[in-house]
Amino acid sequence: MDRKSVKVVVAGGFGTGKTTLVGSVSEIPPLTTEEILTQASVGVDDVTGVEGKTNTTVALDFGRITISPDVVLYLFGTPGQDRFWFMWDEIAQGAVGAIVLVDTRRLGTSFPAVDYFERRGLPFVVAVNRFYGECLYSQEEIRGALELDPSVPLLWCDARDRDSSKQVLITLVRRAMSRLPVG
Amino acid sequence: MANLAGAMAYDVWDGDDEFAAGRLVPLYILVNGQTSPRNTSLDLATQVVALPRDLNRLEPEYQDIVGRCGAWVSIAELSAFLHLPLAIIKIMVDVLLEQGYLGIGAPAQQQIQDLRLLETVLAGLERL
Ligand SMILES: Nc1nc2c(ncn2[C@@H]2O[C@H](COP(=O)(O)OP(=O)(O)O)[C@@H](O)[C@H]2O)c(=O)[nH]1
Ligand SMILES: [Mg+2]
Repeated sequence: MDRKSVKVVVAGGFGTGKTTLVGSVSEIPPLTTEEILTQASVGVDDVTGVEGKTNTTVALDFGRITISPDVVLYLFGTPGQDRFWFMWDEIAQGAVGAIVLVDTRRLGTSFPAVDYFERRGLPFVVAVNRFYGECLYSQEEIRGALELDPSVPLLWCDARDRDSSKQVLITLVRRAMSRLPVG
Repeated sequence: MANLAGAMAYDVWDGDDEFAAGRLVPLYILVNGQTSPRNTSLDLATQVVALPRDLNRLEPEYQDIVGRCGAWVSIAELSAFLHLPLAIIKIMVDVLLEQGYLGIGAPAQQQIQDLRLLETVLAGLERL
């Protein structure tokens, strides 16, 4: 059947505005799903001994935008901690690209995300969430601190504003298109 | 001038550190008496839809899932609506697909190389 899902990852440190951005562009209020985690010992598919171990859950917010009768775009806000790599792996698999949100007061919290998408070769854009309108650093300083490749789009946004979040998404899709092999 | 080096300090895990030593993985659950983790390739964004079938022989938990699939819906949405973790929903949807209760949409691409699809997405976003 020809029902298509398009995925966009929304990443960045805790409190950088991921859920806010998802909510401002989504056609539904953000939904939350969760994954149960357990500590891997040796074999991942060894289920014996799972009993008695403490398990934990990690929550994942997401929203949706109906693009056309056949295509739905899903935006997934990844858990901020870079300890949850495997969840990033699943969300990034087959995704159009990623939006890395940055709060300039805690720039470093978004560095693992930049590093992850860089290594994975997934197209991404960096959006500085303009909390309270202040801006502590210049473009150059932010690029330097996050070790951004000059070709990676860097833009300012207000995650609470639908149009602003929409522009970030559009910038990402254009970036993904520019990375396609020509022909 | 703000301290850039200070801002670059990592935010480390501030929850309980019970799991600090190991890597976290999804927990495989026993579903329907099956002990082995089914190797499902279902992506959380993949959409499914109910096929016209009599649901009488399905257990209520499975009927709930099919009942949510009157229109196309993603694995992630099912998980959120039914308050079931992704790992469980995937296994259950897999069973329903196998038994012909659900139809499945296109899987998320391995590598997005579909310019037409991206053009569609771009046009859709610009219309918002
Ligand atoms: N002033 C202001 N507050 C924001 C902005 N974006 C998010 N917030 C607030 O910052 C907090 C963290 O945002 P949230 O989206 O939950 O961050 P997440 O942890 O990345 O999902 C919330 O209280 C938001 O209301 C913004 O652009 N400006
Ligand atoms: Mg959040």
